Amino acid sequence: MLVVVPYLIRHPGTTLDEAATVFAIPIPQLRRDLEQLFLAGLPPYGPGDLIDVDIDEDGGIWIAMADHFARPLRLTRQEALAVYVRATELAATPGVPVAPALNAALAKLRDALGAEALGEAAGIAGAEPGTPPEHLDTVRAASGSHERLRIAYVAQSTGERTERVVDPEAVFASAGHWYAAVWDVEVDDERLLRIDRIASVEPAGERFAPRGLRGAGRPLYTPSDRDVDVRVRLHPAARWVAEYYLARDVAEGPDGSLEVTLPTATTRWIARLFLRLGTDAEVLEPPGLREEIEAEARATLERYAAASA
Amino acid sequence: MRRLSSRTMPGQDTMEPLERLLNLVGLLLEAPTPLTFEQIRETLEAYQGDNLDSVKRKFERDKDMLRAYGIPLEMTGTDVWDVEQGYTIRKERYYLPDIAFTPEEITALYLAAQSGSATTDAISGVRKLIYGVDGGVLTGSAGGPLAMESDTDQDRLMAAAAAASDRHAVRFGYRTAQGATSERTIDAFGVVFRSGRWYLVGHDRERDAIRAFRLSRVTSDLTDVGSGADPPEGFAAIEHVESAPWDAAGLPVAHVAFTPEAAVLAEGNITGATRERARDDGWIVLAVPAADPDTLGPLILQYGPEAEVLDPPALRDDVIARLEAVTRG
Repeated sequence: MLVVVPYLIRHPGTTLDEAATVFAIPIPQLRRDLEQLFLAGLPPYGPGDLIDVDIDEDGGIWIAMADHFARPLRLTRQEALAVYVRATELAATPGVPVAPALNAALAKLRDALGAEALGEAAGIAGAEPGTPPEHLDTVRAASGSHERLRIAYVAQSTGERTERVVDPEAVFASAGHWYAAVWDVEVDDERLLRIDRIASVEPAGERFAPRGLRGAGRPLYTPSDRDVDVRVRLHPAARWVAEYYLARDVAEGPDGSLEVTLPTATTRWIARLFLRLGTDAEVLEPPGLREEIEAEARATLERYAAASA
Repeated sequence: MRRLSSRTMPGQDTMEPLERLLNLVGLLLEAPTPLTFEQIRETLEAYQGDNLDSVKRKFERDKDMLRAYGIPLEMTGTDVWDVEQGYTIRKERYYLPDIAFTPEEITALYLAAQSGSATTDAISGVRKLIYGVDGGVLTGSAGGPLAMESDTDQDRLMAAAAAASDRHAVRFGYRTAQGATSERTIDAFGVVFRSGRWYLVGHDRERDAIRAFRLSRVTSDLTDVGSGADPPEGFAAIEHVESAPWDAAGLPVAHVAFTPEAAVLAEGNITGATRERARDDGWIVLAVPAADPDTLGPLILQYGPEAEVLDPPALRDDVIARLEAVTRG
């Protein structure tokens, strides 16, 4: 209430609906709290000392006699830090249109809240955000307006470019990449796409009705029943693989190596990953994967032989 | 206009907690001097029961609740001789200072507070800031919240940010990228967000050096171990977090040809890679920052026969040697 009241005093006639939305309070509770406010006041609590609350026929809220609650409460230290950290994070993410406004707001927060709330806030910093994916704005706009898209997409697992018609329902950033949770119209199923892997995009000329696909917080890899389990040993220098990709049944060896299972629908990307890892990793299962790795290595060497010939 | 309800004189048993708390805050905020518990009792009907113990307990609970909301309820001497202790809420500590946010700035903060893994502190904090703008600006803001997610435990991130802003030292377990786990004690200097990840930067006491720790690799909660050292003159935490290639202006560049499909993947995966030209055979030549040739070779190998290093020759030879090591099995 101490947070809501200053807003209601500053914006006389705010409706119950609007206040409930902005402050995420259910309307019945807001109504009950306003009734409580109506009974409070200042000494000596005569009729002229109590806070005046009216709700008009349109649901507009009018508050008087509450000058002492006309200005909002300070942020707690935790709140100030949390707002500052969140804003820093968003401002340092590529492709965020509000980044300039955020940076201006951060400077004002530093000045106004000062050392008491934020301490050495200058120590909380974001790096230059870098370049956003080329098609981020288009996909984000389509997601907002429920516009169906025709895209060309390159999947990391197969390396193939496919034309797809998708309904982009949710767009979100995770660990430095932008993703779109989409409904793939032709396969009639949900897909998670990395926006930087979209090679081209155009409107399909239709609108879609959202199915409520989940954006942030969803697993980045959806297991399927066609998955093959690849069991590998990662020497310490290759342990990052277990962090970067979905890995399960992780067992640590005495030398700091890890044995992990990487579930996957296709093995070619793992074969190529092994070209990268070299002697830092070994295939345990399936044995056929070793031949696949050698075949990839031979094919790649041919590329160099042909080019230099 | 309709009155909310007929005003009745509330009896102590029917008085609701919110009303009691609002009255207590109003009383202490407006009182010119600190008030003793006795004076508060005399004024506020809510604390006027016969059973002094239970009234006192109620008052203690209310005090705790107000402090939990962040209300700066203090205990201090009622006069300069400190004979009696009284309670006060100082206006300058209660009220938010005026901050002239533009509607765009408030909207941006509102989006930011809702963007990450839900932290109630960020959302409740931002609600205190929005009183100056029209709520319609917020509810109408296009596109909805900008969703973000993080691999960092939010409590640990907030603990690191608090330690850095207090100049405190923290102790925690940490696992390096190579998998070595150890306990670290760090004088916290800063927290930095770079390329989608949060880092704690500070002075590592055992190693006597400034290090950056990726918070997703912290394996325990952070324990505050008291005051820490100050950073060196002119310290900037951001300079100690592994620099991204796009900062590496003037560093060597390698040229790598990719199939059109692999080029799309490489542009997204290899930070700083830029499209240079398309070859007649359809392959795309990318300029790739080559700050560290030892890691670039393996990175290119991940594209298999769909990528070919053109120059520098040393990198090309390195890639060929690595491939031959595999085929010799």
